[in-house]
Amino acid sequence: MNRSALAPYYAALELKAGASLREVQNAYLRLRRLYSDQSIVLEPLDEEFTAEKRKAVLADIEEAYQKLLDAIHAEPPKAAALFPEAAAGGAGPDEAEPMAFAGLALRKIRERLNIGLDEISKELKLRIELLRNIEDERYEALPEETYLKGHLRNYAQYLGLKAERVIDDYLGRYRAWKKK
Amino acid sequence: MTSTHKLQREGEIWAIGGGKGGTGKTFLTSCLGSFLAKKGRKVVLVDMDIGGANLHSFFGIDRPQRSLTSFFEMGSSLSDILVRTELDNMTLITGDIHSIASDTIKFSQKLKLFRQILKLNAQNVLIDLGAGSHLNTLDTFLIADRMIVVLVPEVIAIENMYHFIKNSLFRKVKLVLKEYGFKEVVQLVWDHRQDYGIHNLKELIDYLKDSFSFIGTILDAELSRFRVSLILNMVRTNQDILLGAAIKSVLQKYLGIGIDYAGHVEYNDAVWRSVRERKPFMLNYTATGCASNIAALADNILKGSEAELPGGVA
Repeated sequence: MNRSALAPYYAALELKAGASLREVQNAYLRLRRLYSDQSIVLEPLDEEFTAEKRKAVLADIEEAYQKLLDAIHAEPPKAAALFPEAAAGGAGPDEAEPMAFAGLALRKIRERLNIGLDEISKELKLRIELLRNIEDERYEALPEETYLKGHLRNYAQYLGLKAERVIDDYLGRYRAWKKK
Repeated sequence: MTSTHKLQREGEIWAIGGGKGGTGKTFLTSCLGSFLAKKGRKVVLVDMDIGGANLHSFFGIDRPQRSLTSFFEMGSSLSDILVRTELDNMTLITGDIHSIASDTIKFSQKLKLFRQILKLNAQNVLIDLGAGSHLNTLDTFLIADRMIVVLVPEVIAIENMYHFIKNSLFRKVKLVLKEYGFKEVVQLVWDHRQDYGIHNLKELIDYLKDSFSFIGTILDAELSRFRVSLILNMVRTNQDILLGAAIKSVLQKYLGIGIDYAGHVEYNDAVWRSVRERKPFMLNYTATGCASNIAALADNILKGSEAELPGGVA
């Protein structure tokens, strides 16, 4: 999907084209809350801006968010073009490689989003060392696969990533290490 | 008033309205004016709060000798009734007109007033509108280059503001189509809205656009210029500040018009004090958070930019 095809999705989230992934996520959460809940902003328009129309707005927001996330996840090099300010930071040769969600990739995404480990640790109630071990792929220090899977899911979702893909990629490498 | 738009104009016109009374329209007009004047711009303030005019008292002026009364009743021109303020490059047209009710202003007088406002020798003309959605108030709002609404974070103010903007937009659509010879169409369709399955203004506009493609072209062009700047006054919390972004979203998605959230002004007792002392706020309370809020939002309106929202999610 090219840039101009994404324009309506940025517009639905009330963002300028090329907004950062973090901005996309914030806008999505803000708008979803706005149109899900009753508030003094919507109450006066109750009769005209009906529940049905709010639903339609929510569907638009949801679609826009998914489309923008897909654009990022489908082809990482293209994603760099979509999020120029994020890519400008650390565009090394390794970033042109197709991305698997290994520890390093996860850390890079997190850093691009400008999210600190302390924030995730606090929000997800996970020890910061655990998160560091995940990103550093210090497999020997990681918990059993069942637990690891749960942690990966929460962590991936927090970064706005597709959890299943992250889990598949990460556990694939983890299992390969275990076999050795 | 698209026809008056074509007249050559001197300065940029800012109109400050918003529907509800007591939200700080007059206070903010005085502050925006002082801010622009202090920046070295030539400013004229016009008090159009007919029946409740008191902009002059924000500058410590008691009973102005000249006012819009002279314009309406004696045929004075606006440039003859300018009142000086303590800032050299800012003058005031006061609205101290007990004898005039908004209803009694004739259409021709209104046009004459607009023509003269457009010709005032100033870089910025700021018009303080009264409360309510009277036709004269709406028409004055619509001649402005910057249509500014002031509201406070409470449900009645938000409701009145929606009402005010809806009425302005409805009036605008009517005026535009009238100019193209479709004076009756808008009201006619609206009066029979049930037959057309129309429930609100947005649907009316969409219906008009779809039914007559040339009307669609005209409305698209004219309404793309219909932008409203939002000022949220008497803000107490971060949550209040974010209300501005929520209101912007709702207006855009519901009415399909452009909204700029110019900024907020924090609640501060210094405002109340300055009004009581009858001292211009921006000249005497420069160190307050309020004054920097106002400076920031005035700058946004000047540049057509928007407020930065506090971090995090609403």
